[in-house]
Amino acid sequence: MVYRRYAFIAVVVSVLVLVVVLVGASQVPPLTIVASMAATTLAVATPLTLGALSGVFCERSGVVNLGIEGMMLAAAFSGWFGSIYASAVLGIPPLPSLLLGVVIAVATGALLGLLLAALAVTYSVDQILAGTVINLLAVGLTGFFNRQLFFGPASAFGGQVPHAPGVLPRLHVPLLADLPVVGPVFEQQPIAVAAVVLVGLTHLVLFRTRWGLRARAVGEHPRAAATVGIDVVRVRYVNVVIGGAIAGLGGAYFTLESVPSFEPMMTNGRGFISLAAMIFGDWTPFGSWAAALVFGAAQAFQINLQLFRDQIPPSWSFLQQSSVVGLVPYLLTLLILTGVIGKTTPPAADGQPYEPEGRR
Amino acid sequence: MLKKRRLAIAVLLALASALPACTRSKRADCASPEVFCVGLVTDMGKIDDKSFNQSAWEAIQRAQKELGATTQYIETTDPKDYPKNIGTFAEEQYDVVITSGFGLTEATHAAAEQFKGVKFIGIDQFQATQKPNVVGLIFPEDHGGFLVGALAAMMTKSGKIGGVLATDAVPPVYRFGEGFRAGARHVKPDIEISVVYHNDVGFDKTFTDPEWGKTTAVSMIDKGIDIVFGGGGKTGNGALLGAATKGVYAIGVDTDQYYTVPEAQKVLLSSAVKLITEGTFDLIKMAKEGKLPAGNFEGKSGYAPYHDLDSKVPPEVKTKMEELRRGLLDGTLKTTVPPTKDAKGQP
Repeated sequence: MVYRRYAFIAVVVSVLVLVVVLVGASQVPPLTIVASMAATTLAVATPLTLGALSGVFCERSGVVNLGIEGMMLAAAFSGWFGSIYASAVLGIPPLPSLLLGVVIAVATGALLGLLLAALAVTYSVDQILAGTVINLLAVGLTGFFNRQLFFGPASAFGGQVPHAPGVLPRLHVPLLADLPVVGPVFEQQPIAVAAVVLVGLTHLVLFRTRWGLRARAVGEHPRAAATVGIDVVRVRYVNVVIGGAIAGLGGAYFTLESVPSFEPMMTNGRGFISLAAMIFGDWTPFGSWAAALVFGAAQAFQINLQLFRDQIPPSWSFLQQSSVVGLVPYLLTLLILTGVIGKTTPPAADGQPYEPEGRR
Repeated sequence: MLKKRRLAIAVLLALASALPACTRSKRADCASPEVFCVGLVTDMGKIDDKSFNQSAWEAIQRAQKELGATTQYIETTDPKDYPKNIGTFAEEQYDVVITSGFGLTEATHAAAEQFKGVKFIGIDQFQATQKPNVVGLIFPEDHGGFLVGALAAMMTKSGKIGGVLATDAVPPVYRFGEGFRAGARHVKPDIEISVVYHNDVGFDKTFTDPEWGKTTAVSMIDKGIDIVFGGGGKTGNGALLGAATKGVYAIGVDTDQYYTVPEAQKVLLSSAVKLITEGTFDLIKMAKEGKLPAGNFEGKSGYAPYHDLDSKVPPEVKTKMEELRRGLLDGTLKTTVPPTKDAKGQP
């Protein structure tokens, strides 16, 4: 990703933070505001980062993954249900139940990834449609099971929703977390930490390993890759399943790390925003992460500006309207995707089904 | 041949219509004027949900005891069944059919159109258009918000309190939020209050975003706010959970959330509640006397018990809270909150 883009991101984030600091400085020390906004940004960016990484894995190998939203939603539900079942019915203590929930969520994502791979790679279904199928499937299935397992006559828990085992505990990053004021930024929950680690890991895998080179080759020119002996189908399957698993981890964030409850359609379009982040990040892990942080910062801006509503100077009174401030994340998405700072290029074979030679 | 088939169909139909009668043993003769039948169609969830459904059912049980009503309920397990469940009571000519919750507004209206002889009570259902046989039980949410706002203002140690709510485009949410603000200012004019509304996604989705609610609450707490008021479906519940993870006091809405968000019990100070049982019973009584109004009927709002934190609330605060509650009830105290956001004529 070109440095112009990173610079743009840095400018946008700084402006967002600066505005809030200027408005709220009379009430709260600036450093506290910055630290709090950073914490919010990281938390909000977690599912977006994971969603975008999922997209990077899939699309770098040439499969468009429009089903991130659905994968996250399905994983959020299955992981949550698994953790509750483990703790309430099987009597497993909270932490192992939650970890089991995470495993189930990741597996759910991987399974949907396998479905996407089967549709897109084996059956050459239009990949836009294949992703849409997964989104619709996830909305329908989670809604149905949520009703049946918790409210329906055959409820797994006899009609009463049992206590959820809580959420994943905060990890204490030694030294950094003990710092005054900025300490809370380093006290993150495990999935938020995993997201950051996965950014680096994805970068290494894609750009520093043989597998990554092959995957990228398959995503750029599958026929050429095939002629040098790369198994295009296998590479795509593996990458899409990994992508699904990462989206599944993103789903786990909602119900196992953020709040111990599930709501139908609770991902609220974040899977699509993460696709936008991936595109703005030029299909690179670090770029996607940076873009996800912009969206996180926009959310933090939205929350914080409302918090300091009474401090907004009268000449800027339009910013006091919660509906105006609420638009900011979406306006930013629009601004970013319209290519204000240049175009990005997807992998050349992105979205094209691969037909092995002589199959026709 | 044709006759035979017709006979067969007739027999089948007769059998089929007799079947439901067999399944319910105590089938009351609701059509007769002496028998007063009251049916409840729940929103999604069980009759003992410790929330809207249960409160409505308690009112009906009271009607059974005090008014000799014949009662029955149907639990809804799928929003698609609303019309079917309402229709079941209406077809048996129940005198009153009660639907619990905002979600049943449309289904109730449709049924009222179809069954003109049946009276409908819609709990928490604002009537935009008036139908002669429907009454919507609505609540002065600003009263409840006012009370818990005053409570928060009296209980805060940092002098900063916050509210995390769904979209203010929905009048009850707006009234809760602004009532909270007004109540806090009433007892402590110099208090710092932040009320944040969730306006960034689609209308109904702002009620189902616990992740946002939690993030927002945590962000407030980071800035020294030590009491969080969370309102608006699951979004508000998320705020309560955020307060629970940070160990600061939380205040809920609608019903006593001590029971609906058990994870927040340790920090839940109170809830701004809608007195559903009382309002519903009043309406059933009016129906029995043939005086059921049409349009909107305003019930009462209050605040829930302090539960686990009872010992933490000083006696003078408790006294003040009762004083405010009575003031709002008899009209000597006004919240000055406009009914909707638009009515305020904002800058």
